[in-house]
Amino acid sequence: MQLFKKTNIDFMGKRNTMYFASTIIIVIGMISLFVKGIDYGIDFRGGTEIVISFANTPDYGQIRSALGTINYGDSEIKSFGNERTILIRTTKQGEGMTIANTIMDGLRSNLADKSFQVLRTDKIGPKIGKELRRDAMYAVMASLFVILAYVAIRYKFSYGMGGVLALFHDVLLTLGILSLLNGVTPWLNLEITQEIIAAFLTIIGLSINDTVVVFDRIRENTKIYRSLSLGEVMNRSLNDTLSRTIITSGTILIVLLVLLFLGGEVTRGFAFTLTVGIITGTYSSIYIASAIVLDNSLRKKKE
Amino acid sequence: MRNQLSKIILILAAVVVSLIFLYPTYQDYQFRKKLSSLSGQDSISYLEQNQEAILNAKLKRIKLGLDLQGGMRVVLEVDVIQLIDDIAKNKDDNFAAIIKEVRSEASTNDESVIPIFGRKFQQRGIRLSRYFGNIRDADNAVLSYLNGETEKAVDRAIEIVRNRVDQYRVSEPNIQKQGTRRIIVELPGVKDEREVQTLLQGTAKLEFRLLRDPAIAYRVMQSIDDFLAGKVSADTAAASKTAKKEEKPKDALDDLLAGNKPASSDTSKEAQFMKQHPFFSYVSPDQRNTGEGYVLDINRDRVMRLIARPDVQRILPIDFEFLWSAKTDLSPDGKKFYRIYAVKRVPELTGGVVVNARASVDPNDNRPIVNMEMNAEGSREWARITGANVNKRIAITLDNAVFSAPTVINKIVGGHSQITGMESPNEARLLEIVLRAGALPAPVSIIEQRSVGASLGEDSIRSGLNSTLWAVILTVLFMLFYYHNAGAMADVALVFNILFLLGVMAGFSATLTLPGIAGVVLTLGIAVDANVLINERVREELAGGKTLRAAVDAGYSKAFSAIFDSNVTTFLTGVVLYQFGSGPVQGFALTLMIGIVASMFSAIVITHVIFNIMMDKGLSPNFG
Repeated sequence: MQLFKKTNIDFMGKRNTMYFASTIIIVIGMISLFVKGIDYGIDFRGGTEIVISFANTPDYGQIRSALGTINYGDSEIKSFGNERTILIRTTKQGEGMTIANTIMDGLRSNLADKSFQVLRTDKIGPKIGKELRRDAMYAVMASLFVILAYVAIRYKFSYGMGGVLALFHDVLLTLGILSLLNGVTPWLNLEITQEIIAAFLTIIGLSINDTVVVFDRIRENTKIYRSLSLGEVMNRSLNDTLSRTIITSGTILIVLLVLLFLGGEVTRGFAFTLTVGIITGTYSSIYIASAIVLDNSLRKKKE
Repeated sequence: MRNQLSKIILILAAVVVSLIFLYPTYQDYQFRKKLSSLSGQDSISYLEQNQEAILNAKLKRIKLGLDLQGGMRVVLEVDVIQLIDDIAKNKDDNFAAIIKEVRSEASTNDESVIPIFGRKFQQRGIRLSRYFGNIRDADNAVLSYLNGETEKAVDRAIEIVRNRVDQYRVSEPNIQKQGTRRIIVELPGVKDEREVQTLLQGTAKLEFRLLRDPAIAYRVMQSIDDFLAGKVSADTAAASKTAKKEEKPKDALDDLLAGNKPASSDTSKEAQFMKQHPFFSYVSPDQRNTGEGYVLDINRDRVMRLIARPDVQRILPIDFEFLWSAKTDLSPDGKKFYRIYAVKRVPELTGGVVVNARASVDPNDNRPIVNMEMNAEGSREWARITGANVNKRIAITLDNAVFSAPTVINKIVGGHSQITGMESPNEARLLEIVLRAGALPAPVSIIEQRSVGASLGEDSIRSGLNSTLWAVILTVLFMLFYYHNAGAMADVALVFNILFLLGVMAGFSATLTLPGIAGVVLTLGIAVDANVLINERVREELAGGKTLRAAVDAGYSKAFSAIFDSNVTTFLTGVVLYQFGSGPVQGFALTLMIGIVASMFSAIVITHVIFNIMMDKGLSPNFG
């Protein structure tokens, strides 16, 4: 079977339209990021988080008032994966697990429904959160730098730049979408946790993977078709690799969708982030990365 | 076909090695299944009979992360301000004020405590040497001394925690130093909050305990042995006799000891000995008449149960207790064993009197020694104790584990003692840490604590496995559908890939976490990619008019650079992730990296060999 016969699409000719489309989506995402903001998980904020599951759907009002009687009324309460499981979170700090114990004791003595079970408690000190935020930023920066260096050495510097700018595009776009969709449905929890940072780094890894395959073909075709312009060689290379790009991304997407729907609530946010990232990564490998290299070389020629 | 053979050997070797690495994991799974199918007494005896094999399998299997099996993860940090406050001398109001200021500044500031502390003193024009070290020391010298003390406090805290975790027999604990001031403690299976408190917080209890006379120690062991064998000696009360008669048949352990083992001819002698000496089968008294007993590591839990039995406790003399050595030693045939010591219940002295301890080397014979100093009150007591017990042994215990049991050579006046007989400088260093734990607590605070309930763990495993299974099935079907028998080839490679990935993980004793499972699933996608690249390329070459064999060879060689470069970049992000990530994220990075290497091998080498063999046999693979 073959989904893609020999194609001949003029990808490079549409690059300005695609730049525009990407910019619009990124700008919307950035506006959401500034207005709505992004939810940091417990890892990055510090505080205490408890996940408890009830036998029956709990009444949030009762939980809130139970927490109110022990002065934890300002805690955040939200569902976790399904309606019988809730997450309680406070940024208050205390020695050891005292806060978790206070909350649990408070719920035990003030809730009518005592059928709950503690699934998880996390306590993160204030310093750790700050350090993890710093480490996460270093990790993303370091990986972008490493990729820039590798691609620049194996190909040309402008290819490295094109690849890394496409990665920035992917990260910003995905981040914007996370900000937009967070809190839309209780099924999907899109806080920034350590796992989400891991997802971002994976997006970076997979997106550059796609881009490099295209670059590899451009390098090969440049030697074969010496009479063609760079733009034509790029179009040809993108068409040559299109089938592979779509099939690979499609397979990974199948796997991710499985993880998203069957993987359970713990990996759901992770799988969702990756799903968005794979789509944008595939798109940017086709329309953005090479286009940036092309524009760069055209500008150089003018000078 | 020339280089085919070497490739086939390579593949087979990789498969065999993976299977060898995975075998303990399989064994462990079988043991668990068996154990959960047996009930009560049967499961105990099964456990007893296969103890060594079970432990061995457990040690070498792929470990499950805390998120998958439930348990507690705690990050401790040494409280430097508290530590400084503890070691300062001649403290006054000024000092207290500075400590308070530093505490409030450190909580809002990223700067580490000691520089802040030094600055505060400078601002006020007070010399640090007023409170620390010698009066003539420069501020810088004092600050570096304080830095050194902080590091020592971390080592001390690690030793204290490790000791307690060992004594409480928490299985498979993981204790690690992170940076210079932090300790990560992972306790699988520990759920209770209070249990963690006892393990990790509170001051360590350092004690000096007099050993009981070796003859008495041996006599007690003998009477326990007799009692357990049913030969009750005259001096034990009738009460215990009746108790024994009632309890004995019900006790699974006794049944086992009495000979549940198959009595084949060569083991019958052993069984006979076991029956007659239920205690001495597991505890060998020291032949040199030191009163110590040796217990193999694998028998420790059993002996602990025996000694803890109320009827056994009843036949112990008053002021008599067995304590375990803190560490294991190696026997000449390479087996780990513990020592048990018979000590008095009441300590002669507690560790608060120790002011300082220092490991060093005896200038005369270059043997490692530890010098210990006591305060005035302790010195007086120590002189009396050592004077009254010359040639007897005193055990140094931390939280009831014996770290050393030196013999008193003469009466020690003035509080300066020298402990010799350590086998290595490391042993001396450990003893120094232990002695200091009594002198100076290592104040730690919990800065991160996560507990995962086992039920969440079970759910996670189930959904993790489900999603992996579905991902594999869908990917396999898709490849088969899209590339026909070239797709089948890719599927074979995929199976090998999973085998290698798990094999390497088992080989490294890596820990499988939930994000790690996600990494495995993702690796499937990457593994498929290499085959997609190759197959698409072969199709192109075929379309260009090449013969099948030429197209396959060209496809593989031309696709190689793309596979290599693209995988290297992904691999590099894996390295970065591993470097900066923590805990579960590292698990993900590790599986991703192993998966990339495995997938390159299975896609480039394995499928190519299969294609070549097929074509040699005259079959023509179909690229869909």
